[in-house]
Amino acid sequence: MTLHTELFFKLKVLKSVFKRNLGLLALIKDMRNTFNSELSVISVDNQLLYGTATNLPFTFELSDNHTTYATLCFDKPEAKLIGEVIQLVLQKELEKKNIANEVLGLYREINMIYNFSEKISEKIDNVSIAQTALEEAQQIIDITHGSVFILDANNDKVLQMARLGHNPNPEKSIANQNPILKQLILKGTSLVVPKAAIEANSALNHLKAVMYAPLKVKHRTLGLIVLGNEREKEFTAAELKLLTTIALQSASAIESAQLYQKGLKESREREESIMKVHKASQKFVPHQFIKSLGKDKLTEVALGDQVEREVTVLFVDIRGFTTLSENMSPTENFYFINAFNKRMGPIIRNNEGFIMQYLGDGFMAIFPNGAQHALNASIAMQKDLKTYNNQRKVKNRKPVKIGVGMQNGRLIMGITGDIERMDAAIISDTVNTAARIEGLSKYFGSNILLTDLCMKNLSDASKFNFRFLGPVKVQGKLNPIDLYECIDGDEPNLLKHKLNTLKLFKKGMDLYFNKEFAMAAVTFQKIFKKHTDDLPAKLFLNKSAHLITQEIGNDWQGIALVDTK
Amino acid sequence: MSKKLLIVDDESHIRMLIEQTLEDLEDNGVELLFAENGEQALQIITTEEPDLVFLDVMMPKMSGMEVCYKVKKEMNLNKVYIILLTAKGQEVDRQKGLEMGADRYMTKPFDPDEMLDIASTILNA
Repeated sequence: MTLHTELFFKLKVLKSVFKRNLGLLALIKDMRNTFNSELSVISVDNQLLYGTATNLPFTFELSDNHTTYATLCFDKPEAKLIGEVIQLVLQKELEKKNIANEVLGLYREINMIYNFSEKISEKIDNVSIAQTALEEAQQIIDITHGSVFILDANNDKVLQMARLGHNPNPEKSIANQNPILKQLILKGTSLVVPKAAIEANSALNHLKAVMYAPLKVKHRTLGLIVLGNEREKEFTAAELKLLTTIALQSASAIESAQLYQKGLKESREREESIMKVHKASQKFVPHQFIKSLGKDKLTEVALGDQVEREVTVLFVDIRGFTTLSENMSPTENFYFINAFNKRMGPIIRNNEGFIMQYLGDGFMAIFPNGAQHALNASIAMQKDLKTYNNQRKVKNRKPVKIGVGMQNGRLIMGITGDIERMDAAIISDTVNTAARIEGLSKYFGSNILLTDLCMKNLSDASKFNFRFLGPVKVQGKLNPIDLYECIDGDEPNLLKHKLNTLKLFKKGMDLYFNKEFAMAAVTFQKIFKKHTDDLPAKLFLNKSAHLITQEIGNDWQGIALVDTK
Repeated sequence: MSKKLLIVDDESHIRMLIEQTLEDLEDNGVELLFAENGEQALQIITTEEPDLVFLDVMMPKMSGMEVCYKVKKEMNLNKVYIILLTAKGQEVDRQKGLEMGADRYMTKPFDPDEMLDIASTILNA
């Protein structure tokens, strides 16, 4: 406290005593009566604090440490005693005030620390904790500058987390004095830096006072808080203690933040690796399969989970695979199959299907949402093969042809196996039939074959073009199945031909089933002559021609008996 | 007319600390009044109708809550702004105090700067 403010403070206390200390006023009154003396008290700033009379013969200087703050005037010499009493009371009052000020200072600190803890407990990153620490420090300590430094995890580099105040020479910042900072951090003590040391460090030249405290957690020091003031001042022990308190609070907050971030990072990594496994598992057990079971993740699926529903089962087979792979090494063969599957997989998925199983030279796919998706996929696959074959032609490779067959029916999808080894499985007769239908595509020379059950399952059959190929009795099945050829996947000129002869083909089939084989043969001959790639026409031409000379029983229904496997 | 501020606490040293915190207001024409229990407080509030009261909750005889209830709910002296002083962490007191009609609450040990700020704002002094 400077001399002036000290006097000001004393005058204030004195005035308040004369205003409020009723006990003292009563005592003065009693003593005045006893001594029978006039009395007045005049402060050094010329205010009459007590009494009315002036020009009294005696005076007594009310003073403290040689500083006079008021004058007592009286007219009986004994009344000097009153002055001594006032002086004593004032002294006690000042002591009381000083203690109260100390206590209020402590209250201030308690509240600062409380607020600070509350504030930083919400923070989870080091930078904002450091910033808050500096802001709070500025609230309660007279500073113009500050920095928070943290030693990185390898105890290698010191990083500046937050800064306060303007540095006139940024290139000379203490943030650049890594070795010194590191040394201070590892030392782990707090200090008011001596003037000489401040002057000796060019990075601190702009400051008149500097102190620092370590960010300490248990026996570890995480970093350092440095505070400074560019104005002339000296940091007190109390201020250093406050800084140390802030530093301790910050340190534990920073440590929790670091642990939190670490935990967050770890859990993120864990989640990522789980996602990777999840994604990988999807490749083995299609997500749609799991979804069909009413589950979201493979991990949720349990042994025995199952669902029964109507689906379209589609079989794809590479025609003449044996011939095709004859001249390939096993590795080349594997690459070829992979290249093929890589092209077909996305087409299946894009049409709401999933590949249930790869079968070497083909695959089985399932379409849970309608046969039209299976048909669209089939047509798209046939078209894609044309592009693929053009590429193969350039490399002098044989073209690839596929046969597609499908059947609709109810099917159970489920998880089978035992607790140690599980697999996604489908159980249904539909699968067998679909495989047989695919096998028939070779016999009929059709690209895409489907059954009447598939036809019934189409959302809009008019979007496609079909030719009826008659009933077929496949192996292992009692009842014949009506078979259709979808022509939309055929090469453009073959498709055009088939479209142009649709009616004629139907006429041929009618004649055939009416046992008018000669007429039928003529009709199919007409069609076949127009396009010699029309293999079903060729087949029925041969069949009709053959039957002309055959004895046909009454029970003949034109059911084709084909041994596909 | 000068503004009046009443400080109510049964502990004399707390009264003194609040007085010391708020004494600068006297320079701006605010009169500081004191009461050391609930009954005395109620009497002063009735006669003086202070603009602002710092009212301790924990007092013998009549608690701050009771005083608050009588002033705000029974006497309807709504222009008397009451700030309850509760111990830190007594959130129950806080809720109850607001139900009793207190305008706001502060925790003890109070932040002197905050107390002076609030008082100056309310008294416009």
